[in-house]
Amino acid sequence: MTSQSPRKDVVVIGLGNVLLSDEGIGVHIIRRLSTRQDKFPLVDFIDAGSAGMALLHLIANRKKAVIIDCAQMGAEPGTIRRFAADEVQSVKKLSHYSLHEADILQVINLSKQLGECPRKIVFFGIEPESLEPGQNLSKTLNDKIDDYIIHIHKELV
Amino acid sequence: MHNNNVDINVHHITRVEGHGNIVVNVTEGKIEKLQWQVPEAPRFFEAMVRGQSYQDIQTIVSRICGICSITHSLAATKAVESALGLKVSEQTDKLRILMHYSEQLQSHTLHVGYLAAPDFFDAPSVVPLVARAADVVKTIVKAHRIANEWSDLLAGRTTHPVTLIPGGLTRIPTEKQLRQLQQTLKDTVLDLNKIAEAVLGVAANIPKFERPTEYVSLKQTNPPTYTFYHGGITSNDNKGVVLPIEKWHDVTNEYIVEQSTAKWAKWHRDAYAVGALARFNNNAELLSPMAQNAAKTFGLQKGCCNPYMNTVAQLVECFHIVETSIAMIDGLLTKGLKDEKVTSAPKAGRGAGCVEAPRGILFHEYEFDKKGNCVAADICIPTNQNHANIQKDFEKLLPEILDESENQIRLKLEMLVRAYDPCISCSTHFLDVKFVR
Repeated sequence: MTSQSPRKDVVVIGLGNVLLSDEGIGVHIIRRLSTRQDKFPLVDFIDAGSAGMALLHLIANRKKAVIIDCAQMGAEPGTIRRFAADEVQSVKKLSHYSLHEADILQVINLSKQLGECPRKIVFFGIEPESLEPGQNLSKTLNDKIDDYIIHIHKELV
Repeated sequence: MHNNNVDINVHHITRVEGHGNIVVNVTEGKIEKLQWQVPEAPRFFEAMVRGQSYQDIQTIVSRICGICSITHSLAATKAVESALGLKVSEQTDKLRILMHYSEQLQSHTLHVGYLAAPDFFDAPSVVPLVARAADVVKTIVKAHRIANEWSDLLAGRTTHPVTLIPGGLTRIPTEKQLRQLQQTLKDTVLDLNKIAEAVLGVAANIPKFERPTEYVSLKQTNPPTYTFYHGGITSNDNKGVVLPIEKWHDVTNEYIVEQSTAKWAKWHRDAYAVGALARFNNNAELLSPMAQNAAKTFGLQKGCCNPYMNTVAQLVECFHIVETSIAMIDGLLTKGLKDEKVTSAPKAGRGAGCVEAPRGILFHEYEFDKKGNCVAADICIPTNQNHANIQKDFEKLLPEILDESENQIRLKLEMLVRAYDPCISCSTHFLDVKFVR
């Protein structure tokens, strides 16, 4: 309704909290990608931070969504993995007490139920090294950020 | 007949880390243990802003919470402006209130629709509810989406606002955009009516439980307004006296308890409540006509002390927010929007800022050195102010429901916690997965 620019078919969303070190890797990557917006005129880059359910609206009725987040996958810290929603099962435990928790896979499920889910959703999960309070990434992830950008670029061309 | 033995330990059952935990132990009909336990990470946010420029505080604290990011930013901005002696224009003030309203509507629709509604409809979560009540869920999603887009317009994005700076705003909407927003809000009234009708249809499932307590909220007397943003602090125990927000430590009186790493709060009694029901109980007569009407429909009256009705109070506030915003936009458009130059300069000082978060009154306080760098910070979130009240509710509620099944007891205790709309463990990663192929 009041959006300042028309919604594009492809969206890249960075999730996470930049106050908790590697938790914010999705946002750090989006900040870098946003500086190259001119190379991707048909893509929206969105820093969604820790906005759990807002994701439902950010992906609604797009053709493709790419979601970047810190992910506990049992891999080596710094590992990036590309996967689709049906390749993984959530092991996240929700208390259901609070709105301040969200499970992306449940949000996607709701999006499907509502008939507005993008045909293609790609995740890039990055295994964190540190989730301690702090605004900087761990050296392990920081050293690999250019690699992460290359992975995501490939997804957009 | 009373249950002789009840053993509830939600934390143990679900292995939820970092969230609140309900522990009930009843042996031979005697309550041995009944606790609302809240593990909370140390308040590292306060340490994180120390040494930072006054210009960056609102951006950093906006990351504390994904649901109340605008609220945290506004509280911080007000505190910074108080410390530096900055005044904002009437236009800025109104646009900020509109921005704040957008987050209240976001959060309230999310709470009513996604967290509380499944309880009322006896569904495990909102996802299976789509199959059973598709129209209701779609209407809730629509209202939530409108609120999110409203935040986009005023705050620069849905979450973690980018338009707020000490002294003003970096960007304002066009008059055309405000007109569009106003029309959308007028259309939203119909959706709110649909949601209210659906909730009213299952309102019999809202537990009947009462416990008189102290309700603490903002109160604005000049002009009298149902406020989320301006005014001072009051309660139903404070004999009509409104304290300036700088006195907030006299209200919260935070203290440490053994069962929780989060601090608890008390004022005139051993516990108090904050949130929509507190605001309603202190200011109900100032609600907009549509909100008054919604309250009447649900039988919600000033003095209500059923904590489960907090969800209904939120729904009532949704009407107030939309109706008031429509009128505010009229006022802004009549005067015409102006581009305003914002300037500020560093200065030593200390200031407090207070706004109502969707889940209750929120305090920020900062001190700056002469270069404008933060040397001290103190933040008190609404959820911490509700913990003691939740415990006291538990202590009255459990003996009243001991003759119900263990599952029913657990559900009612969980619903009670949900009714307070708590902010327990924000900002944890959303993806925790194992690969299945």
